[in-house]
Amino acid sequence: MPENAKDLSNVVLLSGNEAIARGAWEAGVRVGSGYPGTPSSEILPALNELPDVYCEWSVNEKVALEVASGASIAGARVLVTMKHVGVNVAADPLFTMSYTGVEGGLVIISADDPSMHSSQNEQDNRNYARAAKVPMLQPASSQEARDMTMRAFEISEEFDAPVFVRPVTRVCHSDGLVEVGERQEIALRGEMEKQPEKFVMVPGHARKRRVAVAERTRKLVEFAEQTDLNREEMGDTSLGIIAAGVAYEYAKEVFPEASFLKLGLVWPLPPERIRQFAEKVDRLYVVEELDPYFTEQILAMGIEVEPVDDSFRIGELTPMRVRQMIAGEDLPETAPDEDLPPRPPTLCAGCPHRSVFAALRKLKAYVTGDIGCYTLGTLPPLQAMHTTLCMGAGVNQVHGIQKVRGHETPVVAVIGDSTFTHSGITGLVNITYNAGVSTVVIVDNRTTAMTGGQVHPGLGVTLSGLPGKELDFEKLARAVGVEDVRVVDPYEMEKTEQALREAMDNPEPSVVITRRACVLEVRERHPAPALDVETCIHCGQCIRIGCPAIFDASDEDEPTLPEIDTALCTGCTMCVQVCPVDALVVPDTEEGDA
Amino acid sequence: MVTNVLLTGVGGQGIITASTILSQGCRLAGWQVKKSEVHGMSQRGGSVNSYVRFSPDEQVASPLIPEGGADVLVAFEPLEGLRQLKQAAPDATVLVEERRIVPVTVNLPNLSYPADVLERLMAGARDVRIMNAAAKAIELGEPRAANTVMLGALSTLLDLPEDSWREAMELVLKPGAVEVNLRAFEAGRELVEAQAAGA
Repeated sequence: MPENAKDLSNVVLLSGNEAIARGAWEAGVRVGSGYPGTPSSEILPALNELPDVYCEWSVNEKVALEVASGASIAGARVLVTMKHVGVNVAADPLFTMSYTGVEGGLVIISADDPSMHSSQNEQDNRNYARAAKVPMLQPASSQEARDMTMRAFEISEEFDAPVFVRPVTRVCHSDGLVEVGERQEIALRGEMEKQPEKFVMVPGHARKRRVAVAERTRKLVEFAEQTDLNREEMGDTSLGIIAAGVAYEYAKEVFPEASFLKLGLVWPLPPERIRQFAEKVDRLYVVEELDPYFTEQILAMGIEVEPVDDSFRIGELTPMRVRQMIAGEDLPETAPDEDLPPRPPTLCAGCPHRSVFAALRKLKAYVTGDIGCYTLGTLPPLQAMHTTLCMGAGVNQVHGIQKVRGHETPVVAVIGDSTFTHSGITGLVNITYNAGVSTVVIVDNRTTAMTGGQVHPGLGVTLSGLPGKELDFEKLARAVGVEDVRVVDPYEMEKTEQALREAMDNPEPSVVITRRACVLEVRERHPAPALDVETCIHCGQCIRIGCPAIFDASDEDEPTLPEIDTALCTGCTMCVQVCPVDALVVPDTEEGDA
Repeated sequence: MVTNVLLTGVGGQGIITASTILSQGCRLAGWQVKKSEVHGMSQRGGSVNSYVRFSPDEQVASPLIPEGGADVLVAFEPLEGLRQLKQAAPDATVLVEERRIVPVTVNLPNLSYPADVLERLMAGARDVRIMNAAAKAIELGEPRAANTVMLGALSTLLDLPEDSWREAMELVLKPGAVEVNLRAFEAGRELVEAQAAGA
């Protein structure tokens, strides 16, 4: 038997996200809540697959964290998941939950996205741990993601604090081998004793809790000095590296012989261990992604570290960047590929909501946008989204713009169905309450598409697949005082344009709901249209709708000649509808309705 | 020694499924393995890269392949192969599918799909094998199995036991899809062997 042929039955291949779910489950978690956001979205569905856990997609991250607070007060271990910017939404309860502490262990996953693979900023959420005085663990691999999630529950209960686990994209979406175990059966903690001094944060109580937080922090520092979550790996002492998370793996890859102080607990830091490590090595580097978070704290301890160029504070690290940072080597020269056409993400072939942007472009509207696939409406050739700030912002930006520029300026907000429930509703109330005039378009694709198709209140189905009350956008809009509410099928381009035009012309608040399911959810296909080359006038209208299934097959000097990729085309007919000379022809279907 | 395989192509081509099969195969062989990719935005028809790093005996540290360190570049689309060529090691083998998927950006001024994409790939690497996996998969009656044709070809370059590949496919793929994918895998192996015989 070869040496490596060990028992594989408890070694599984898991993504960091799956490993977090697994760790939470093994730690006896009973409740999971969260809101989808890349790179965190797969954690809750993975947890939901495991037995004896209640999981929900909450309406937004603030709601998720408050639901978790309740579950913790009830004595259960609870996991809350969100992406880094989701923590901004949840920050209000977070800072005070640091004071109240927990009953059942409460672990918050903040999945950060250095390099903004799928995000609007790359904030470093280690700063939240320090600001809210909440302990934070940072895993480097799938195995650590599972192990540290389990440890986080213990720390939460031992220190009476919510605890952060902060994976980054390269941990969430990397797969690695994980040794797994059985689920611990953890009884509910406490009997729901009423503890107003702990859970009612009026100033008189909060002032006492503030002192308790300071005492907890002191004990956490002692813990940081002892725990095996932080570990020293002594090698060649001419180079010492302090690192955490995946940055540690990169540094280990390129400097395997160096000495390391690997930090698993990234708040609070262990000053004595850092000092002792620093004394043992000749040159001390801190290898960290994004902000100089460790660096500044270590410098403040009076410990000298090698300076690092500010350019390394932007974007994720890679093995080569770590080599560059420490050895000062330049990246190898590579053949330039500027002439290669880029392949950015696009609205899918057959996306029903393409027509909304085609119409708004035609209406010359200034479009305040939002977060979701439809943000891709900003890209050429549609170029019909002009702001994107954060979840729900567009509904309020349109109102602000029209308070300054008046109703005559063609401005419109576009927001997805899931984003609308997350944080667009309050904005709509604000518009009607403050005598606004704006038009809000809800592009309702019946899912949370960008993050992989999660359910939301508009569907009336929960994460566990059970029926829930379906949020009725029309009734909701009317209930908050919008009288002009229209629902259109965005595949009908003329009607969509007409609804948008009329709503924008109306000097009262209006809501246009363009309702058609995401093509990735409902994989309905019709035959691709054929081009009648004789009729085509080479105007390029069909190509200007920006569908990836239709492109200009001509060379630069020739007139535009559309070609359809029949493998991609869903037969949605938008290109047919915009053709001014009927040169694109839908083939006869078997029903004969040509 | 750690082997680095970079799989590249376009969202929707089954690249992540392919890299999951490879990673599971490594696990089933008792090897060390890490795999990394980016989800989210990239799934909307954008470029997709998946990094798989494995070793029969050594621990794998970084989930990312160190820049310029891919031992095998598996390109499911030629333009994406050319874009990632800089990540290939000097003595890397490049497997490249010949079928082109034209990005929507060619509709913008001054951008066009490079007509000489395969020539540029051939000039840029020592060992380039041009594949017709998409055509092969259509021939087998399952266009979506082009990714396992590519895996079959890849399997001829790696020491991973054939049983591990097979078990991994049974584990990762839907039961109804296993049989045709096993045939696609075999077809991929034959393509490479036929090329080797012809060379």
